[in-house]
Amino acid sequence: MSISKTVVIGCAGIGSRLGLGQSKALINIHGKPLIHWQLELLTEVEDVRVVVGYQANEVIKTILEVRKNVTFVFNHNYFNTKTATSIYLASINANDHIFTLDGDVIIHPDDMKSCLEMDRPFIGVTDISSDEAVLVHLNDASEVTEFSRESGTYEWIGPALLNKEMFSYAKDKHLYEIIEPTLPLESKIVRSMDIDTMNDYYKALEKFKDWYEV
Amino acid sequence: MLENNIVFLFDLDGTITKEETLPLIAKHFKIEEEITQITEDTIRGNIPFVESFIRRVHILGALPAVEIDDLLSKVELSKPIVEFIQNNQDNSFIVTGNLNVWVNQLLQRIDCKYYSSQGKMVDGKVEKLTNILKKEEIVQKYQSLGKKVVFIGDGNNDAEAMRISDISIAFGNIHWPSNSVLQVSTHAIFCEEELCRFLKQLS
Repeated sequence: MSISKTVVIGCAGIGSRLGLGQSKALINIHGKPLIHWQLELLTEVEDVRVVVGYQANEVIKTILEVRKNVTFVFNHNYFNTKTATSIYLASINANDHIFTLDGDVIIHPDDMKSCLEMDRPFIGVTDISSDEAVLVHLNDASEVTEFSRESGTYEWIGPALLNKEMFSYAKDKHLYEIIEPTLPLESKIVRSMDIDTMNDYYKALEKFKDWYEV
Repeated sequence: MLENNIVFLFDLDGTITKEETLPLIAKHFKIEEEITQITEDTIRGNIPFVESFIRRVHILGALPAVEIDDLLSKVELSKPIVEFIQNNQDNSFIVTGNLNVWVNQLLQRIDCKYYSSQGKMVDGKVEKLTNILKKEEIVQKYQSLGKKVVFIGDGNNDAEAMRISDISIAFGNIHWPSNSVLQVSTHAIFCEEELCRFLKQLS
């Protein structure tokens, strides 16, 4: 990697819409927990931080099965906070740039590689597929100019390379609300999808067959 | 160099040492059964830490302190952590509930300033406990001096100190950190190289 990066994986949430009562990091994707697939794409990254909250012990133990050099960051208040809090907690004393990744996201291995090679801030966008998506508007220079719940050309499900200085404690905010004042930011198309519902889960299993060797 | 307003406080047993010292003493003096019972009762929360500590000192205090000190001087230490401490001697401290007379040589090997419990010695044995270290008081001491305190620990007797520290790292190098520690920590790390890498980042 050309610049020092910290990769932050947000795994604190409850995953309530999936209805399995289980952290989404632990869901089984073709014989392995999702978090193992993500970590396989991060072997070159020295500073990997995983934010844990719900089922913290199980998530930690599952990660330690495949990787020991991880810093776990607790968001003990995961029930009453949103993504901005988790990423803020992980950003403390991080490297200058932070690559954010949600624990419920599957991402094409080639695209993850190219994301990690980027040396300037960007928002990783993808084709719209979620029911309650965070959408993005792009300008003519393909920069993200706005996040929206109503309309947009692409969807944003979490991957982004951000300057650590932009994070501050914000209990009730989503990460995109923290990023918004710093727009416009370069966009980058990243083949990815997140798993919010059982329907997403079945779709993800199919996508995996195309994207990974399973 | 690290920022001079940061203070690193390290637990000793199981954090800097790569084995727990109490079972080692118990084995050496063949008092495993007594010690194991107290340890298990403490972990289960059946007896509070201070009571457990007093009972352990009552048992161990009757043993020659020099022999314990000799035994513990040979305990394996985490090389990366000792190196980190030695490179940051001005702002690294060990905080151990152990009696100073038991860990004297061990602490000399690490070459670090420390806070420990203390006892009154008579004929080479501990006659009575004179001070049980409250680790949280050391945290408060440095915070009142305007320092940002980073605490690295793993056991029940670290929990209160870790609850009030600015950054508290539950360290699971040789065993899973106690639940009381995990519930109050800001971070958890499970290998010594990762711990030292993270501590260097806190500059």
